[in-house]
Amino acid sequence: MKRFLKIFKVAFQSINKNRTRSLLTMLGIIIGVGAVIMTISAGEGATLQVQNQISGLGTNLLMIQTKSEHKAGINVRMGRPIDKKDFDMLQKNSVWMPQLSPLVAIGAQAIGPNGYMSTTVYGVSYDYFYITSREIELGSFFTEEDVKTAKKYCVIGETIREELFPGQDPVGRQIRIDKVPFTVVGLLKEEGTGGMGQDMDDIVVAPYTTIQNRLFGHQRGYNLIMASALSEDHIADAKIEATELLRESHKIKAGDEDDFEITTQIELQEITGNITGILTILLGAVASISLIVGGIGIMNIMLVSVTERTREIGTRLAIGARESDILTQFLIEAIVLSLVGGLLGIVFGIIGNQIIYKATDFFIPTAVYSILIGFGFSALVGVAFGYFPARKAAKLNPIDALRYE
Amino acid sequence: MPSKKVIETKKLSRIFKNGEIEVHALTDVDMVIEEGEFVAIMGASGSGKSTLLHIIGCLDRPTSGEYNLDDVRVNELDKNKLADVRNQKIGFIFQSYNLLSRTTALENVELPLIYDRTGQFSNTKELAKKALEQVGLADRIYHKTNELSGGQQQRVAIARALVNNPALILADEPTGNLDSKSSIDIADLFVQLNNKGKTIVMITHEPEIAQFAKRMIYLRDGRIISDKIIEDRSTKEFALKELEKPVTP
Ligand SMILES: Nc1ncnc2c1ncn2[C@@H]1O[C@H](COP(=O)(O)OP(=O)(O)OP(=O)(O)O)[C@@H](O)[C@H]1O
Ligand SMILES: [Mg+2]
Repeated sequence: MKRFLKIFKVAFQSINKNRTRSLLTMLGIIIGVGAVIMTISAGEGATLQVQNQISGLGTNLLMIQTKSEHKAGINVRMGRPIDKKDFDMLQKNSVWMPQLSPLVAIGAQAIGPNGYMSTTVYGVSYDYFYITSREIELGSFFTEEDVKTAKKYCVIGETIREELFPGQDPVGRQIRIDKVPFTVVGLLKEEGTGGMGQDMDDIVVAPYTTIQNRLFGHQRGYNLIMASALSEDHIADAKIEATELLRESHKIKAGDEDDFEITTQIELQEITGNITGILTILLGAVASISLIVGGIGIMNIMLVSVTERTREIGTRLAIGARESDILTQFLIEAIVLSLVGGLLGIVFGIIGNQIIYKATDFFIPTAVYSILIGFGFSALVGVAFGYFPARKAAKLNPIDALRYE
Repeated sequence: MPSKKVIETKKLSRIFKNGEIEVHALTDVDMVIEEGEFVAIMGASGSGKSTLLHIIGCLDRPTSGEYNLDDVRVNELDKNKLADVRNQKIGFIFQSYNLLSRTTALENVELPLIYDRTGQFSNTKELAKKALEQVGLADRIYHKTNELSGGQQQRVAIARALVNNPALILADEPTGNLDSKSSIDIADLFVQLNNKGKTIVMITHEPEIAQFAKRMIYLRDGRIISDKIIEDRSTKEFALKELEKPVTP
């Protein structure tokens, strides 16, 4: 034990005496660990954000729409549009979908007292708020009754408020959508950027009846019907039920294809999961490169000092150090440098994540496994390049180590 | 008084192989050195002096032949035992010092004690200081090696060789890099150490330094060609006086 302490002291003196080399070695480790933490965490952050927003849509969501096909890069509707008949039929017969809402969307100009902006106006029923689990910040949603009587009420998102009512309470105020005046009854709680990068707060929501009557001037098909399944476990049941009801009502013969499409939340999540998976792999590749760069840095420092260190080992052997004494010393040196460098790298990575968060509002949770990967790899490189050349030198005859060039 | 054999070699040979080329650095060296001797080894460059001293110092192994140190068969020792022998029995002084850079004189001298496994040295700093005093470097103990002159560095190396109180001191051209005055000081230091009972083997190129020893072995092409007792040993005073003599034209 006393020997070990002595060797420990020797290792520390050696680190201290070769401060430049020690610092450069640690720098390699710091960069490696920091970069890995930052890149992997960024990937994780993106995934998390997308997942949050998708589940923010309501995890039990189903979207029923007309079948479309990609033709020459554009979506072409194949079947008859989903319409009021389908909606009423589903609402009457469905067991697994307690909430249903039509959705008609229209790009329009929203004009307020202090400005105007182009946005998307969604016409929906009251159930929409439940299905998408959006919450109200100020005022209230419009009611079932308001939908029935096609009131000119609307609820707006934060982006719209900022543009049309900067710094003001919009509730009770008037806006015009394509010349039709609407009363703002509520302001939606802010939701930020959506899974596909869209602004979830750049939105005006109004009763679908009002949109159809006032903006379209006639009744026509819906863009889609949104529904929420009874629970997450019943999404599949809900999808089967909707498929059967619609096939029956559309009089589709057995064996013929559906003329509609049902997308569930889970499927959506899988699609975006794939996208963010690719993103994570990409960032992982960047991380690996920074690891390799850091590793090469460490390797260079170690290899450059091999001559000097081999002579040092020769000197120590010549005055009676055993091979194991040398190995212990170099192992301690490598471990201490990797450990200190690794810890600084972790701090560097976490601070980096914070800085990115502060600068871009893109929250990056520091992934624990990124710390483990970065730390593990750097420690491996540090120990490998610190220890193995030393081991080779310690096996030499002292005189060969002293003569090493 | 029958003296004890410290070093005994029998048919000691060392062959260096560099690919196809074989260099016979030592060939059939038979040599006995007894306790308390002070031997100077001389010979032309490349005659095998260093090779012999490295083998005696357990820094290298012979290709063939036998080497006994204090009646221990060195050939049969494993690496760890060899390290212990170097640590406990031998003080080796290199021509090129081989001190640790960026390290103080004191720390350098302390080094052999750090690797000691016998546990006989309790206050290593004190011992290192004493060794440095012995070589006249008491006022330089905290200087780093690169802040010392060549002669001072060689003294640090000598102090390092003395600190663990070895019976045998081996020196490979200890005065090779020094001026005449410093060389004489070092040679005189060896005489004093020898007077205190240390066995010393010293390689040198300079006849006037060799003259401080008691016995001279001459090597040529890896073989001993002469081995004689030095009758008229030099002293510090004599050597210094010789130094002041004008160079004869
Ligand atoms: N590691 C080695 N590999 C190959 N040949 C070597 C090696 N070491 C020594 N030699 C050769 O062995 C011979 C003896 O070398 P050695 O160093 O013992 O000579 P020396 O008498 O000490 O010479 P000098 O007075 O120049 O120091 C030389 O021919 C040298 O080239
Ligand atoms: Mg030599």
